[in-house]
Amino acid sequence: MHGVKRVQYSQAALEAKKQRDHDKLKAYLALSDDVIARKKSHDMSNEAFELTTRLLRMNPEFYTVWNYRRDMFIESLFPQRSPSEVNELLSDDLSLTFELLKQHPKVYGIWNHRRWCLEHIPDGPSPDDVNGYRNSTWNKELFVVEKMLDADARNFHAWNYRRYILATMPFPPPPKSELAYTTRKIEANFSNFSAWHQRSKVLTTLWETGELDRVKSIEEEFELVRNAMYTDPDDQSVWIYHAWLIGNGNYAARLQFEITSIQELLDEQPDSKWCMESLVRYKRLLIEKHAENLGDKKALVDSCLELLAKLRDIDPPRRRRYDEIAEGIRSGNEMQ
Amino acid sequence: MTSSSQLLIPLHVRYIQSLGENKDDLTYHLTAHLRMNAVYWGLTALCIMDHKDALSKDETIEYVMSCWVDEAGAFGPHPDHDPHLLPTLSAIQILVIHDALDRIDVPRVTKFILSLQQPSGVFAGDQFGEIDTRFLYSAVNALSLLDQLHQLDVEKTVSYIKQCKNFDGGFGAVIGAESHAAQVWVCTAALAILDRLDVIDQDTLAWWLAERQLPNGGLNGRPQKLEDVCYSFWVLSSLSVLRKVSWIDADKLTSFILSAQDTENGGIADRPGDLPDVFHTIFGVAGLSLLGYPGLVDIDPVYCMPANLIESKGLRKGWEALPRKAS
Repeated sequence: MHGVKRVQYSQAALEAKKQRDHDKLKAYLALSDDVIARKKSHDMSNEAFELTTRLLRMNPEFYTVWNYRRDMFIESLFPQRSPSEVNELLSDDLSLTFELLKQHPKVYGIWNHRRWCLEHIPDGPSPDDVNGYRNSTWNKELFVVEKMLDADARNFHAWNYRRYILATMPFPPPPKSELAYTTRKIEANFSNFSAWHQRSKVLTTLWETGELDRVKSIEEEFELVRNAMYTDPDDQSVWIYHAWLIGNGNYAARLQFEITSIQELLDEQPDSKWCMESLVRYKRLLIEKHAENLGDKKALVDSCLELLAKLRDIDPPRRRRYDEIAEGIRSGNEMQ
Repeated sequence: MTSSSQLLIPLHVRYIQSLGENKDDLTYHLTAHLRMNAVYWGLTALCIMDHKDALSKDETIEYVMSCWVDEAGAFGPHPDHDPHLLPTLSAIQILVIHDALDRIDVPRVTKFILSLQQPSGVFAGDQFGEIDTRFLYSAVNALSLLDQLHQLDVEKTVSYIKQCKNFDGGFGAVIGAESHAAQVWVCTAALAILDRLDVIDQDTLAWWLAERQLPNGGLNGRPQKLEDVCYSFWVLSSLSVLRKVSWIDADKLTSFILSAQDTENGGIADRPGDLPDVFHTIFGVAGLSLLGYPGLVDIDPVYCMPANLIESKGLRKGWEALPRKAS
């Protein structure tokens, strides 16, 4: 149970609530017993099918009933119908699950059933157009999942479903349009780490397929991130993404440039934890990976230790981590 | 008013005992699909509070066996509900706690579990094919408790987890999914059981986990999300496996968990002032155990079961929680 407030009821309110719940409970148990009995006796009638609809509206988490419904599709409903009728039947279940998702956006069983429906969309409408039904269904799905992400931009069920839809579409949109989608989501809210995550996946694909020039694209990403950092330097989403970018373009000049730029931000926001955390991270990278290009290594080491001491003060819950990093730097430095 | 600076053990024990008495409550029936998990959560919470006998052993075992689905060779969550990997793991855990594994047909359950592994290495929850790293962990945990891990294709299993690894060091539910503390726990614990912690980028993951702590002491499951008591276990258990529990503030988290107790009727909620449930009660109590809260029994963060039991089966891995405080 998440986010349901504990309420103190008056005696009268408690009695009224009990009565209401009692009536609901009686109706629920009667329906549930009926459906389970029909399932056990392998009832594949239309009436049984309608009863599962009613029960699932009351309790969409009852996965055994979704299973029963799927058995009815496979064993009884599909074999009696033409592809066009099967397509319509599944489209009705997609409407039902969309309606349920609007009320219960995080119920696994509803998302799961939606996917099952997609996997059973028949070929057609004609031999010349075997992907016709699928194409129009998948296009609708992309629309549905965007609605779900408009309502809650962090819903991981919806993001997972979105990736699934894009990966299985008969005629997928160009991957660059997904990059544009993440840009829109990020610009609407820089704190949307789900969108940054998706962006990292899309970019990786675009670099691997050569659709985007890796070096040029990383440059552009640094610009996007810089805007976000200046907008809210306390937002960890942006800094985690920045660390990923550095990992992909880890060369001395870039590190030096980012260090200078973050230092400027820190000068404006002298208590910014994430500026300090990132400076330590990137200065350590310079020391570890680019030692040959370093003029004054000692200055970098001293600056890391100074930043870590300050982090310890402004972020006491994580002080042990800062201490361990400082110990690591000191012992690494002594060894050389 | 609703918070306390102490863990109210007798109240929570009574709360767990009372869960089976709510049969005129609609919520009790709407959650029947989670009943087997709930029995495991309640029993484990009782074990950690050192009140294992507060629920009748015989009745518990009879309930578990009433959920056996013979055609499948597996357990459902409730009589007449379909078999699934999640209740099957909970049933095995309950039977191990009560030293009653002899009640089940181990070869058949093993066969059911192994039949759910997909070519990619991940496991489905049942024959309808939903996949998730939670199911992968359930399979690995169950096979390990049944002493049947030698039948698992470890390389294939680990390869799926590897592909779920993200740039932040965490893991998601499927390949491509965003890191989430609960999925981090299932992947980390599965890798611990399979002795493959080398797959994890440990410094990055421990950093990401430490950053789950919010100024109020509670932990969230992903960046820029709200705190919730259940992450106390998922983040802490992962940190225990990485031996980095000291990277967060134990006192502040302890106070946060205690503040989410229902001081009138018992139980722990997701956050202060909300309705308690058995799910947040076990994960709150388990979190406190890992933090060294005085008077509690050690929990094994890999199996989420009493640590001495796991140790006696020779299954203990190299995790490290905070030392138990004297008072």
